[in-house]
Amino acid sequence: MLLKIVAESSNPSSIALAGRLDSSTAPELEAVLDRVLKNARLPRLVFDLSKLEYLSSAGIRCFIRARKAIEPGGGKVAIVNPQPAVRKVLDIVKAIPAGGIFKDVAELDAYLDEMQRQVRERD
Amino acid sequence: MLFWILAATMPIYAGALYMSYQATAQRLEDEAQRDADDLAARLAAGMDAVIRPIEGGIRTVASQLEEIDPPREQYPARIRGILAAWPDVYGSTIAVEATRDDAATGQPFAPYLFRHAGDIAYSDLASASYAYRELPWYRLAADSQRPVWSAPYFDAGGGEAWMVTYSVPFFRRYSAARRDVAGVVTADLDLDWVRKAAANVRLGSGGMGWLISPPAPRVFLTPIGATARHLETFDASLDAHAIREVGERMLTRGVTFRLLPQSVSTQPAYLAARTLETLDWRVMLVFPESDLLSAARELLRRQLWLGAIGFVILIGAISLVAAAISRPVRALATAVGTASENHLTFALPDLPRRDEVGVLTSALRRMRDSLREHIELRAASLAAQARLDHELQIATSIQQSMLPKAGSRALPMGVRVAAALLPAKQVGGDLYDYFAVDEQSLLFAIADVSDKGIPAALFMARLGGLLRVLATAGKSPDRILHELNAHLVKDNDACMFVTIGCGLLDVETGHIRYASAGHEPPALRTAEGIVSSLPVENGAAIGIDAAAEYTSTDTVIAPGDTLLLFTDGVTEAAANDGSQFGAERLAAVLRDALDGSPEALVRSVVDTIAAEAQVLDDLTVLALSVSPPAVTLHRNELAMHWLIEPEISAAGVAQAQRWLRSILASRAVAPSRIGDAELIAEELLTNIVRSFEAHGGSARMSLECELTAAQIVITVRDNGLPFDPLSLPAPNLEGNIDERAIGGLGVVIVRQLADSCHYSHVHGRNVMEVRLHRSPG
Repeated sequence: MLLKIVAESSNPSSIALAGRLDSSTAPELEAVLDRVLKNARLPRLVFDLSKLEYLSSAGIRCFIRARKAIEPGGGKVAIVNPQPAVRKVLDIVKAIPAGGIFKDVAELDAYLDEMQRQVRERD
Repeated sequence: MLFWILAATMPIYAGALYMSYQATAQRLEDEAQRDADDLAARLAAGMDAVIRPIEGGIRTVASQLEEIDPPREQYPARIRGILAAWPDVYGSTIAVEATRDDAATGQPFAPYLFRHAGDIAYSDLASASYAYRELPWYRLAADSQRPVWSAPYFDAGGGEAWMVTYSVPFFRRYSAARRDVAGVVTADLDLDWVRKAAANVRLGSGGMGWLISPPAPRVFLTPIGATARHLETFDASLDAHAIREVGERMLTRGVTFRLLPQSVSTQPAYLAARTLETLDWRVMLVFPESDLLSAARELLRRQLWLGAIGFVILIGAISLVAAAISRPVRALATAVGTASENHLTFALPDLPRRDEVGVLTSALRRMRDSLREHIELRAASLAAQARLDHELQIATSIQQSMLPKAGSRALPMGVRVAAALLPAKQVGGDLYDYFAVDEQSLLFAIADVSDKGIPAALFMARLGGLLRVLATAGKSPDRILHELNAHLVKDNDACMFVTIGCGLLDVETGHIRYASAGHEPPALRTAEGIVSSLPVENGAAIGIDAAAEYTSTDTVIAPGDTLLLFTDGVTEAAANDGSQFGAERLAAVLRDALDGSPEALVRSVVDTIAAEAQVLDDLTVLALSVSPPAVTLHRNELAMHWLIEPEISAAGVAQAQRWLRSILASRAVAPSRIGDAELIAEELLTNIVRSFEAHGGSARMSLECELTAAQIVITVRDNGLPFDPLSLPAPNLEGNIDERAIGGLGVVIVRQLADSCHYSHVHGRNVMEVRLHRSPG
């Protein structure tokens, strides 16, 4: 099992990836994304990369595709806990804006709470 | 045997014969010489015995004349008496001294009576002109006043023969102190008589001799016995006068017997000389040496004959004795000669003898019986041994059949295994095994039971069976060892133990997981020829401690690397110089091998030990390597090159990545750099795959990895349409997500990670060379 994908459609929707995300395994993620991204109004999509060991441009294309699908509708794609090798690749191609990468789930939650508070204050 | 007995006895016999002959011959020679000497003495004495009575008679007559003084008329009667008493006397006279002036006595008077023609004749010597008083026979006696013998003379005045005369003076006494010669009584001896007497003497077969008078005035000599005849046969030139001179010289020195000097006799001869006691004559006898020694020679002949006869008798006697010994011995030898290993029932001659032959016969009989008994026992034990050997052979083949043969196991693709097991005895306690536990995992193990021979083999069989049962898919080696130990510790009454090394090879990645229970760490030989020990965490040998813990260690081998497992039969083989073959020598053998394949390494280890060392223990070697068909190795002076030629697909790319990873991991490249290299490979190869998917056509691609001291050089080639990815404009990474292109990121990643990128189009192929440092940063 080269790539393990665990998709949760809770709030926020999250996809945990383990193993290798490369040109041979990217189609599997593509298939999952096809299903997940049917929900056009998805506000958040979180990729938990804490167990992803390897990432190549084929995988990045998935992230960019997700971004292209969600961000125009105001949604946001977040990456949690990428390992250094993976983080390096993400940084090279600037696949995710600096604000979209979180050290861990707690940091993401804090960020999301902050966003929610800002929305409430605006409301 | 006969020959040797004769060879030993004959010299002794001949020696004794010779010495006896020498002694006898010497004695006989001495005797012969003494006899010759004695003969001369007897001859002289014989003459003396004849003459001495005549002398006595004449002297008696003279003394009678002195005492009685008969008248002259009576003289003839007295003379006649002399002639009558001694027939050997030829003639005799009583001649008176006629010097005094006396009528009666003053007249010369010499009546002479002599034998003539068988009668006695008379003549008066005084009557003639025969002046007897001046003649030597008278004068010598009268002057010396004692009896004398005359020299031989020829008597022309009556006897007409050779004579000698004995003259005895008689006296007229006046007082006791004073006397005058009154006359001389004589007796003539006819030398013809002497000659006849001498001729009658026997001197033996070759003896010669002479009776010899004193030389003055004339020498008279007469041969004795058959001298004349013997002279002719001996030496006719022999001169009696010369002999006489020699004899005279001898006698003056008191010698009576000696060898004649060569000047006198050319032939060797002895001379015996004697002086007569009466007449002043000599007896001289000559004996030829050959004659004298003929008796000794005769004795020698006799002794030789006796010796020859004795020799024949001796040979006969020895032959009989030897035959008496050798015939039964030969009979024994013939009987024993018919014996063989299968036929020990040979009959021995039944000899109730008490001698050495009898002792030998009974000794042989005892030997035959005990030998037969021994051979029967030996045959029985050989049969038992053969049965055991047969069983051991079966055991050997069973044990060998437990071991995987080359090609007998279905192995996963791309793995090569070779092994050899040389038991020190027919069956051994070593074990190796390898088998696939799933499509990409090969389990391999090597083990060494604590002992040798049948117990070890049985324990080994149990171990081998357990290993096959316990090594199932997904079980790590440490777990397998743990379970093996748990099984074997139980009921291990024989207290045997086993060291074992067990590994699991992922044939698609070259990844090895290895655990060891007290076994020597395997050797790892890289494709470059560098030899090292596999890092191993050793646990306790199996079968000892139920609580033993085992730990696996991980290693990666690249295509071309070979892992070699071995038992201590290899390292502890006794090298011919007395040292142990040893791990270092093993490492040297592996390092020096030209071919690093498992088959070549196993062969070279086994061959080297066979040539250089003596195997004392079971010896086992197991070698394995990964050699995926898509990977080939090349080497230049600077570095090793691996050329990976994957199929054009995502799976091919992943496969190429895996081999690149295993190559770099096995060469101690930092993990982050391995990830970088892998990423570069994927991006470049994926682009090619996409390009082919888009444009179609037959295609090939390859990835070459070269490792230098500082750099990793990755060269990707393909034969697609000429295309330089580096020529593409850099994609916009900053803008709004809507405006971003999805592709083109791979090249960005490659450029970013690499130290240098270089594109060229060579021989119709796109060549992209990417370099990066081995260490990150």
